[in-house]
Amino acid sequence: MSNLFVRKATGMVRSWSVFDAFIYAFFSINLVTLGFYSFSQMYYFSGGMIPALLISAAFIIFEVVVYASLIAVMPRSGGDYVWQTRIFGGGIGFILAITGWWFTLWLWTPIYGDMLRQIVITPLLGAFGMQQAAVWFAGQGNALFLCSLLTLAFVALVIILGMKSYARIQKYSFYAGMLGLLIVIFLLFTSSPDAFKAGLDSNSASYFGTQQLRMYDATAVAGVAAFASTPLMGGSFALIMVTLPYLVFFNLWPNWGATLYGEVRGATDYKRNFAGMAWALGVTTLLGILFFLGVDRTIGWDFYVQANATWWNYAWGYTTEVPPLPVWPNPAMLAVFLTDNRLVQIVVLLLMSTWWFGWAGTLFLSSTRVIFAAAFDRLLPEKAAELNKNGTPVNAMLYMLLPAILVSALYAYNLAGFRSITLAATQGIAIMYFGTAIAAIILPYKKKELYEASPIAQMKVLGFPLITVAGLIFGGFLLFLLVEWFFDPWLNTAGVPPGLYGISIANTNSMIFLGSCYAIAAAIYYGFKARRKKEGIDLDKVQAEIPVE
Amino acid sequence: MTKLFFATDIHGSDICWSKFLNAGKFYEADVLILGGDMTGKAVVPFTHKGGKNYQVTLLEQVFEITNEDELADMKKRVRSRGYYPYLTTPDEMAELEKDPERVSKIFLAEVLKVVQQWMDLADKKFDGTDLKVYCSPGNDDMDEVDEIVRSSRRVLLVEGQVTPLDANHEMIASGWSNRTPWDTHREEDEDQLKVRYEAMISKLKDPRNAVFNVHVPPYKSGLDEAPELDKDLRPVLAGQSLKPVGSTALRKAIETTQPLLGLHGHIHEGRGAMKVGKTLCINPGSMYEQGTLLGALVNLGKDKIENYVLTSG
Repeated sequence: MSNLFVRKATGMVRSWSVFDAFIYAFFSINLVTLGFYSFSQMYYFSGGMIPALLISAAFIIFEVVVYASLIAVMPRSGGDYVWQTRIFGGGIGFILAITGWWFTLWLWTPIYGDMLRQIVITPLLGAFGMQQAAVWFAGQGNALFLCSLLTLAFVALVIILGMKSYARIQKYSFYAGMLGLLIVIFLLFTSSPDAFKAGLDSNSASYFGTQQLRMYDATAVAGVAAFASTPLMGGSFALIMVTLPYLVFFNLWPNWGATLYGEVRGATDYKRNFAGMAWALGVTTLLGILFFLGVDRTIGWDFYVQANATWWNYAWGYTTEVPPLPVWPNPAMLAVFLTDNRLVQIVVLLLMSTWWFGWAGTLFLSSTRVIFAAAFDRLLPEKAAELNKNGTPVNAMLYMLLPAILVSALYAYNLAGFRSITLAATQGIAIMYFGTAIAAIILPYKKKELYEASPIAQMKVLGFPLITVAGLIFGGFLLFLLVEWFFDPWLNTAGVPPGLYGISIANTNSMIFLGSCYAIAAAIYYGFKARRKKEGIDLDKVQAEIPVE
Repeated sequence: MTKLFFATDIHGSDICWSKFLNAGKFYEADVLILGGDMTGKAVVPFTHKGGKNYQVTLLEQVFEITNEDELADMKKRVRSRGYYPYLTTPDEMAELEKDPERVSKIFLAEVLKVVQQWMDLADKKFDGTDLKVYCSPGNDDMDEVDEIVRSSRRVLLVEGQVTPLDANHEMIASGWSNRTPWDTHREEDEDQLKVRYEAMISKLKDPRNAVFNVHVPPYKSGLDEAPELDKDLRPVLAGQSLKPVGSTALRKAIETTQPLLGLHGHIHEGRGAMKVGKTLCINPGSMYEQGTLLGALVNLGKDKIENYVLTSG
């Protein structure tokens, strides 16, 4: 748009910095929290981790195209909920978005809590010599529940502080976290396997009071017994593909913080949004590869997988035998064992902790927005969107916090094997994304005028709209993930529960959790629709397009 | 009981104006109220390239037009986003580059032409009906817009006035806002806004049953959250940092008077309904560039809001 013919008017803002957008997307696909955590759980696959990272990124780039396109066509409209509602009509958007952005986030709470203790609390307590406390926090039950509550307290604090303050905390966390990660990578690339062995043996004793003199060897033996197998490289294409439904727990989220405010200027806005998310995906993937190579060089890839297998076999309850290293083998902690300087160790662990603090605060951000949007659409009580005198959405917060406490307890105490459904936290959101991918595919045809007057109208691939092509690829990828999660038909042909990813249809917990979420969402939608009808409000009509005569 | 429909910030969109005019029948409303900012933000040049050929740059995409059908289609597309098509030549474009005053005149002429078309359409549509249509231009609307609205038989200009809506409810209206970074047409300091509001409130017979149709939302109401901008009008922290930009004078006026209803706009992203004390404040938001008319339907009862819902039409 020529500036010559644009006047000064409210909302005529300039483009935001791509680097800032990159930071928020970069934190969403968080290498140190989501990445290190999910990599460690993937100890039993046969596809190489480096090719898996690259292939998953190749698919997820189409997610970036889909979301950047939808934002360019329908900015400021509230994301998945509104896109799906406007393109499909009816309650599909509500049911998928409420489940994906609200209910599923309850399950993320204990997962965030687990990361809080494994990434922040336990290593730091160990570094300060508080051995018993460090080991206690790594334990099951009460420790995990307490950390889930601490997570909720932190998230509530962020909501009370507001995004203006937290956005700054995130930016500072980015710089601190990156410094910590670069030091970790530096340590991994400048040390030797022998130094690591010695460092592990001595530091594990001083951090956690372990009696095991040969920690490295004992852990390796335990890891072999736990069937540690995942290679760094190699594996057939099929075996690599089968690792992706687990890996996306880490990198399916570059779109998390994508926003567009003010007037859309044109195709540049699409490109900026795309660039912010795509750079985040690309840089995180490269850092992941660098991290893997560093691990391979100094810690030893096999040992890394064995240590992870030992921990998760115990944490998931496949054995009651406490691992030689009685805490999660946090790679940052293993890396700081390469130096004997306790002060350096503490500083690096503190810097690495900022990855959690800069990321976890947004746990309920999207949920709060969806609750507000639903309340404004009169599909929830009016009170759901009320603010107190300080501007805090107290009720929306309670809608998140109270169920999250219950779900955290189920998870922490592993009641009825509830912990096996960890990946359902990804599955619920992926199902919502699938709805959005379908919406993107049909957008140029279902909303032709809207599409043709948008900044992406001329973006085509072989004559087909780019958004449709990207939607087909991303939707196809999601369909593959869903088939794998629900049925894992290739490697678990017998359908043995809980399945390769823990959330197959053979896992009753997972099915009950997911089914309950959708049932509650549908009950809310149809219940409130009927109630409003009695009050004289036809919700179908207020969402319907007014005819233009 | 009176059922009112409120929409705002349609910024020159023909589609939204047509929908607004049809909203009375569609939602069975008794009263239509259009909040401020009815004029568009951009003129799109259609540069003549000889014969029936034109070149148009819309949203940074270049379109080559080769016949009249394409020309009509492109004009419609430009209008659907609330922009104004302007047929020009390469020579005129070169001259305009050097003459910003002439550009402003063209802009004003295009804006007023469309407002006149809208008023004509409303007059034609509502002649012989009982539907009441009220309008109060906003901070982005030039002063010249008022005269055209005032000339309409069926659209009533209510800026600065107390307007009876029914036997129990009166409405005060203002499109003026507190200061913005864009130095727009109708903005002033908070103490001046206070005087403006008090002048109208003092004339209300029953302030508790009043409707405050004020373009800017009350400060810190949740309806006024906008991205924080740096000195170059660039959203800081990629738009993640939001801050309240509403009027403190209006907030004070609402807290003191406690009217039944506040109708607001200004912040397109601020869609929502919030209570300020006992007052229900609504900002339906705006998605005018998508041709979607966001609005609010409110049933006014004696001493209470019977019901309300935000609409997306």
